[in-house]
Amino acid sequence: MQLPLLFIDELQGFYKSKVMIFLWIGLPIITLLFRFISLGATGQAIPFTVISTIVVSSLAGTLASVMLSVSIINEKNRHVYELFLIRPLKRRDILLAKFLSVYVCIAIASFISIFVGMLADYFTAGALSGAILSEATKSLATSLSMVAVSCSAGLIIGVISPSVLVGVILTLYGGNQIAVIPLVPTLLNISEPIPFTMAIAITVCVALLAAAITLFERKQF
Amino acid sequence: MTPENPRSKNGFVVLSDVSKKYGNFQALYDVSFTISEGEIFGYVGPNGAGKTTTMKILTGLISDFQGEVSIGGYQISKQKNEVHKLLGYLPQNVAFQEWRTIDHALKTFGKLSGLNDAEIENRIPHLLDLLSLSDVRHKKISQLSGGMTQKVGLAQALLHDPKLLVLDEPLGGLDPLSRHQFKDILLELGKKGTTILFSSHILSDVQDIANRVGILSKGRIKQVGSLNELKSRLSPHDIIEVELADVFDKWQELESIENVRNVELPKPNKILITLDEGATSDLVTNDILQYLLKTGGRIRSIKPMSLSLDEVYLSYVEETKS
Repeated sequence: MQLPLLFIDELQGFYKSKVMIFLWIGLPIITLLFRFISLGATGQAIPFTVISTIVVSSLAGTLASVMLSVSIINEKNRHVYELFLIRPLKRRDILLAKFLSVYVCIAIASFISIFVGMLADYFTAGALSGAILSEATKSLATSLSMVAVSCSAGLIIGVISPSVLVGVILTLYGGNQIAVIPLVPTLLNISEPIPFTMAIAITVCVALLAAAITLFERKQF
Repeated sequence: MTPENPRSKNGFVVLSDVSKKYGNFQALYDVSFTISEGEIFGYVGPNGAGKTTTMKILTGLISDFQGEVSIGGYQISKQKNEVHKLLGYLPQNVAFQEWRTIDHALKTFGKLSGLNDAEIENRIPHLLDLLSLSDVRHKKISQLSGGMTQKVGLAQALLHDPKLLVLDEPLGGLDPLSRHQFKDILLELGKKGTTILFSSHILSDVQDIANRVGILSKGRIKQVGSLNELKSRLSPHDIIEVELADVFDKWQELESIENVRNVELPKPNKILITLDEGATSDLVTNDILQYLLKTGGRIRSIKPMSLSLDEVYLSYVEETKS
């Protein structure tokens, strides 16, 4: 089982190529900028926490799917995988390591972003209301469910796309639409939608992962 | 000729009737050859002949093909993991993830090849030293030149001391010094019993390293054998060229010498002596020399005419074109 080794290796790659820094610092900065822009435009001081959850839910999924698809297409086209595939390891471990590392990185970035929003609210408005905290938690759960689906969509797009450009187009056209599937319970106004959202996300994610792995196993390099 | 029947031999690497199609394009037609353990096998052919496809089939990167391939007794189609434990591979355009340093890449590939930490710590400095990469151990591979990257590629292929090395154009893009270094390393590995299959466009390099050569053209194996075997198949008779200081009238009488088949005079002072099949120039040169001296011939030079690998290669490849 080479998955732990490949997973740590991928994380080291994100760290060394500074992807982590851009993600973990970039997302909170965008949150703060959004807040100031909305304040200037509407004159209303929307809480940082609310802004950060909106930013995370709108950006994190796209970031995840683009990161994964571009990374896979790039490495596939440069024949980077050949040196991995001639060693005694399972092809699926390569994809799962990529999936997990991107998911973990985006999840941490989402946590940091929302935490920064909460801190900002705490210092500007005092103690956070229970309602805001509850909404932030729900929003984070929904966002992470969507990120999981986005990651698996990015994975399959990465495996099938012949070029980075096609991959990005497919990700923006298809990946983002698929990522909305876990929102169906919320859109249907189901009471307590989060458990349903997570169940749907896990189901879709596993199905897409299985499809991506099957295609990757059959791929001729 | 010619292509071997692999079923008749027990080789370390056995390809038997391997065919591969890409859509409507037939890349390989019933390719068959064997490589014995410890042999250095040069695989030559023009661009697009199917060399890389053969190597990718051998390494398991292409699994959609017809025919059988076994390495060390393991079938690549059924026992890929077992084959991969025996195998080191250097692709034609070796590439690494851009963020990797040499040290990091070799550690990762060492672990993936099943080496433990102690073995990795032992092997990496040895290989870096062997390939003159010690000074750049912690440098990013993306910052290295093409030749240096090729060296890192060879290092990763050698990490786990594989029984079989498959090298796709290993000498391409290397400066003369590095080429010399690579050839020495391959010869040394061959002496230690590593089986090596390598492709190259530089035929003089193949001549320097390979024990046997396989010539591939348009997806078909044209010839397999040692260089001498390939030469003798093309020209079964050794030819001796004699250059004289002046015109020699009695040249036709050279036919009376034992093992001489035919004598020609392409120039007034140049004689070409074709020997009987099986007779070697070493055997007959002395008799020719004695006859010429005895009959007053003033010899400027006498030498066996030998086909180069280039000539052998071109003959077989041209044969395919025609």
